[in-house]
Amino acid sequence: MSAVSTRTARSALAALAAGVLFLTGCSSGGGGDEQSETEAKKQGKDISYSFADAAASKGPAPEVEGAREGGTIKMLQRDTFSHLDPAQIYVSDEISLSTLIHRRLTNYKRNKDGSYSVVGDLATDSGKKSDGGKTWTYKLKDGIRFEDGSEITSKDIRHTIERTFAPFITEGPTFLQEWMTGKGGTEARKSLPDGPYKGDHLPDSMLETPDDKTIVFHFKQPQAEVPYALAMSGYGVVSAKKDTKEKYDKKPLCSGPYKIASFKSGKSMKLVRNTEWDPKTDAQRHQYPDAFDVQFGVSFEDSTKRLISDSGENRTATSFTNSVDASSMQKVRSNPEVEKRSVSGYQSYVGYMAINTDRITDKRVRQAIAYALPADSLVGAFGGTGAAEMAGNYISPTLVGHKPTDPFGKIKNPQGDVKKAKKLLKASGKSGMKLTFAYQNAPEWQQFSVAATQNLKKAGFDVQKKDIIADTYYDQIGKIKNGFDIYHHSWGADWPSASTVVPNLFDGRQVQDGAANYAHLKNEKFQQEMDRIRKITDPDKAAAEWMKLADRILKAEVPAVPLQYYKTIQLHGSKIGGAYFDESLHDLMPTSLYVKK
Amino acid sequence: MLRFLLRRSLGALVILLVISAVTFFLFYAVPRDPAMLACGKNCTPDALAVIRKNMGIDEPVPVQYWHFMVGIFAGRDFAQGACPAPCFGYSFATQDPVWQTILDRFPTTVSLTLGGAVVFLVVGLGAGMIAAWKRGTVVDKVFSSASLVLSSMQIYFVGPLVLALVVYQLDLLDQPKYVPLTEDPAGWFLGLLIPWLVVQIIFTANYTRLSRSSLIEQLQEDHVRTARAKGMSGRFVFFRYAWRGSLIPIVTIFGVDLGSLFGGAMITEWTFSLPGLGTLAVDSVRNTDLPMVMGVMLFAATFIILFNILVDAAYAFIDPRVRLS
Amino acid sequence: MTTLTTEADAPGPDRPGDGDAFLSVRDLYVHFATEDGTVKAVDGLSFDVARGRTLGIVGESGSGKSVTNLAVLGLHNPRSTEVAGEILLDGQQLIGAREKTLETLRGNKMAMIFQDPLTALSPYYTVGRQIAEPFRKHTGASKREARLRAIEMLDKVGIPHPQSRVDDYPHQFSGGMRQRAMIAMALVCDPDLLIADEPTTALDVTVQAQILDLLKDLQQEFGSAIVFITHDLGVIADIADDILVMYSGRAVERGAVREVLRAPQHPYTWGLLTSMPRLTGDVGEELSPIHGTPPSLLAPPPGCPFHPRCAFTDEVAGDRSCHRDRPAPPAGRGAACHLTAEQKHTFFTEQIKPRLS
Repeated sequence: MSAVSTRTARSALAALAAGVLFLTGCSSGGGGDEQSETEAKKQGKDISYSFADAAASKGPAPEVEGAREGGTIKMLQRDTFSHLDPAQIYVSDEISLSTLIHRRLTNYKRNKDGSYSVVGDLATDSGKKSDGGKTWTYKLKDGIRFEDGSEITSKDIRHTIERTFAPFITEGPTFLQEWMTGKGGTEARKSLPDGPYKGDHLPDSMLETPDDKTIVFHFKQPQAEVPYALAMSGYGVVSAKKDTKEKYDKKPLCSGPYKIASFKSGKSMKLVRNTEWDPKTDAQRHQYPDAFDVQFGVSFEDSTKRLISDSGENRTATSFTNSVDASSMQKVRSNPEVEKRSVSGYQSYVGYMAINTDRITDKRVRQAIAYALPADSLVGAFGGTGAAEMAGNYISPTLVGHKPTDPFGKIKNPQGDVKKAKKLLKASGKSGMKLTFAYQNAPEWQQFSVAATQNLKKAGFDVQKKDIIADTYYDQIGKIKNGFDIYHHSWGADWPSASTVVPNLFDGRQVQDGAANYAHLKNEKFQQEMDRIRKITDPDKAAAEWMKLADRILKAEVPAVPLQYYKTIQLHGSKIGGAYFDESLHDLMPTSLYVKK
Repeated sequence: MLRFLLRRSLGALVILLVISAVTFFLFYAVPRDPAMLACGKNCTPDALAVIRKNMGIDEPVPVQYWHFMVGIFAGRDFAQGACPAPCFGYSFATQDPVWQTILDRFPTTVSLTLGGAVVFLVVGLGAGMIAAWKRGTVVDKVFSSASLVLSSMQIYFVGPLVLALVVYQLDLLDQPKYVPLTEDPAGWFLGLLIPWLVVQIIFTANYTRLSRSSLIEQLQEDHVRTARAKGMSGRFVFFRYAWRGSLIPIVTIFGVDLGSLFGGAMITEWTFSLPGLGTLAVDSVRNTDLPMVMGVMLFAATFIILFNILVDAAYAFIDPRVRLS
Repeated sequence: MTTLTTEADAPGPDRPGDGDAFLSVRDLYVHFATEDGTVKAVDGLSFDVARGRTLGIVGESGSGKSVTNLAVLGLHNPRSTEVAGEILLDGQQLIGAREKTLETLRGNKMAMIFQDPLTALSPYYTVGRQIAEPFRKHTGASKREARLRAIEMLDKVGIPHPQSRVDDYPHQFSGGMRQRAMIAMALVCDPDLLIADEPTTALDVTVQAQILDLLKDLQQEFGSAIVFITHDLGVIADIADDILVMYSGRAVERGAVREVLRAPQHPYTWGLLTSMPRLTGDVGEELSPIHGTPPSLLAPPPGCPFHPRCAFTDEVAGDRSCHRDRPAPPAGRGAACHLTAEQKHTFFTEQIKPRLS
């Protein structure tokens, strides 16, 4: 759920600088406390989401067992929050924070049975579609207010959407804007070049607000996943009256159960109860602790050590997104007392080894590479099964429709099938060919490069290793003429559907500098198939089709080798209750936390 | 004295100018694009262009440099708001005003480094004096070998060790943290005690050895012998004559160490998760955050230069020969 | 009156102290422990100095002159130095005396002037303060009194404008002025014994003469006993009443200044004299330095320590051998040499004297 290319570049360098062997970002899954058993059972099984009706969208949220009000929770964070303006939020740190301070039209909610729903948050339900999915209508709940006591009306929602067209909004999602205008990112902006700030508004043919409570979206094409898109933090509500444009990013008006009492960028943030938030209007959030005390600049190593020690004030501490660093992974798993205080699960990322199809045109060579790469050494390098899981295909287990297929036997032969690779390379007549292998000079990738090179050499490749400085890595491999044959990268979905994965990675129309189609795959047939699946209005059916298409691309073209599904473990102090790993957030869920007696 | 200060200030300005230019142009020598980092996941070339314009990096590098330098003295206007002089702009990564961020982080680093320096100077020089006073005895040998062992330690090794023992195991102190001195002097002291002690261990060891050898050298000076020949007591001669002379090499080394002390602040701050200028520097480089990199570099350089001038002034204070020539 | 007994062969160490002597050194041994072994810097030395008299001690570097005098003041490092014998200052035994006792004597009853006034004065304090310090310590004077005394002393040693110069630092003084200041500092408490360790070596010749005159004048005024250490026989001739020639930590010749300079008895003294340039000599005339180098103090040669450098060893007759037997130190006027008195006279008048004029 985050800008992978940029965020990963940043965090990997951070990891390097800090001597931490782990990635930041989203995380999901189960484990920890009473949930651990059911979550563990669930892993590897199909995940399901449903679009909820008005009844399921009503507040208040069911009480967390044993929860009590009061106390302050300390949140240990490595990086400061770069953005507080909802429209600029796209990375996991701020996404996690926004669960406490910003509300959107829709929201994810974990049900008692462990399944997930998309519920109405500010809206009464997850949305009513008409016109074959081209029109979506939302009604606002009663009693929803900003922290200043002003009521949230359809005008605010309109403003929220319209201001994303303004030039200063650069980092948030662009899905709704593109669907409404029927145009790509930059072109879409031209529909409202200054945003709402000069009195212009989107025409009713795109966005309608017939009364204070009603919002109607009109899309150029039928859209099936609008409730998912609206649940993104990037569409969090912004007050039309109190919008301060660029300055809003430092001082937003909050609508969630907590508001910002103080924010010292890079040092600390204090969140206190938002008394204008009414629990009766919220199906998912709670307001147990009096305050959250966020401290920035705490490395993963440091936060892990503190939380393991469970000493003093660390007993009431946890983190939004700091996870257990790789070197402490074993310590956490071998100590039952500590493991009890952990939550774990999948991040949204999947790691891939892209094969540059401009340079390696022979499919058999690509197949040889796919067979040769050893999956287990990478998982080992990242800290073992707590940090990653070997991937058999392109689709993350966190996505609806995921099937545990394994076309190249990546899971069956975790050390790689060198024999098969050798045979294929021989058949292609390219034995001894030069293969330029680029990787980040972070310790885990360096470790993997050794094992990978060994296998590739055995298979008959003349491997040229290119060790690239972590912070320039994504800039370099993102260039179309990058001069490399294979290079790793990762990608995470924006919501639990592969529609934000498969086209990004493999749509030939999206080959450009800096784009995610790192393999430069161009295949008309598959592109048509993508367009077809996008039009399927049943989300579950579409999900199954995406999965099928992903496997077809993998088998037919081998543009990338699936390497691993990233996982994470987070810790909390012994006096913190209500901690669970939310699979839609891919992180520990902040809204259900409470301080134990 | 006035001419001395004037001359040094002019020199400092030249140095700062060179540093600013080198930093600025080196930054662009690295093939990284700050706009790319700020551009979201669904980045398009046009969106990139908008970001570049917002950041002010769409212009040729020398022009950017000119704007930046003018901004420092005359202030600039940004989308985020007006930025009065000294204006270093807004952070690319967090949109925070650079100058305010630096001023906000500065007290932490100063408390950390100068507080640590006070501790290690007092303890280090003290131990060195005792060792020199009792030279050749068991006390001297214990001090000397202990300082030899300790001086080979590293902050990133000792720091976590001390933390693990004092905070995690024994629960004697809270996690190191920075509390402004003006808010809560006791909290300030206790919060920084561990970092001080850790910085101090290493530097103290060095200064113990330096102080000892410097004192012993001074004790062999002719004028020290003269003082004794005048009938002055051993103690008097040690403190009045030998000690004062021994301060000169110490001040010299301290002047050199100041730079590394600030460099070391990076490691100390990281080790103890204290948000000072050191971590700010690391983060800004990590985030390709040009305005912040420039701000921190120039600020730190100014500070170090300023301190070197102070060190030179200290020379004059200690040694009258410097004062008048 | 420096007393040197006239019986040439009387054993020095056993000779009882003269009643007149203010400083009386008897059979002094100063040994340093070093990593290479024991350095015998002073190896059995005796001498006396009376009030109002000046004893010149002459010798090459490393002959033990300075060490002797540091031992008198007790300024050697007690941890690595072994001192034996007797040092009587006005009848008071200094060897083995407590540090506290020595402190009250130093700068007070006995004072010392060092060779290089630039290094011997502290660069960190004003000249006035350095002069006043011992005065305050020994007389208990107030700061103001001590300052006035410092000004008085500076005036006495011929420093112009002492009221302002008293606040100057040593580096603001010229070399000669520094030495004057040094002398002022040494004399500030009217010491009875003044030890001057090559006080003029670091100075210009003209300044040298001024300093010597100053010392002579001050001695007349204060009546101190002076031990004047130098390697320059010319200076000795100017200032001293008696001479003690040292070699390898021992006395090799002693006597009244005229006697020693007119009729030196030791081949080493001859060497010193012939190696000294004279204004009256021809410009082209070659000096004859003593060949060889001073002996190692770690392992001094057996017998006469000068024998490796001596041109007359073959002349020694009888069963005495320069290589084997150590010549007895001179007690009064005399020299520690195996040559007979006749031989000494003959060799000097026939071989050495012609080269001196």
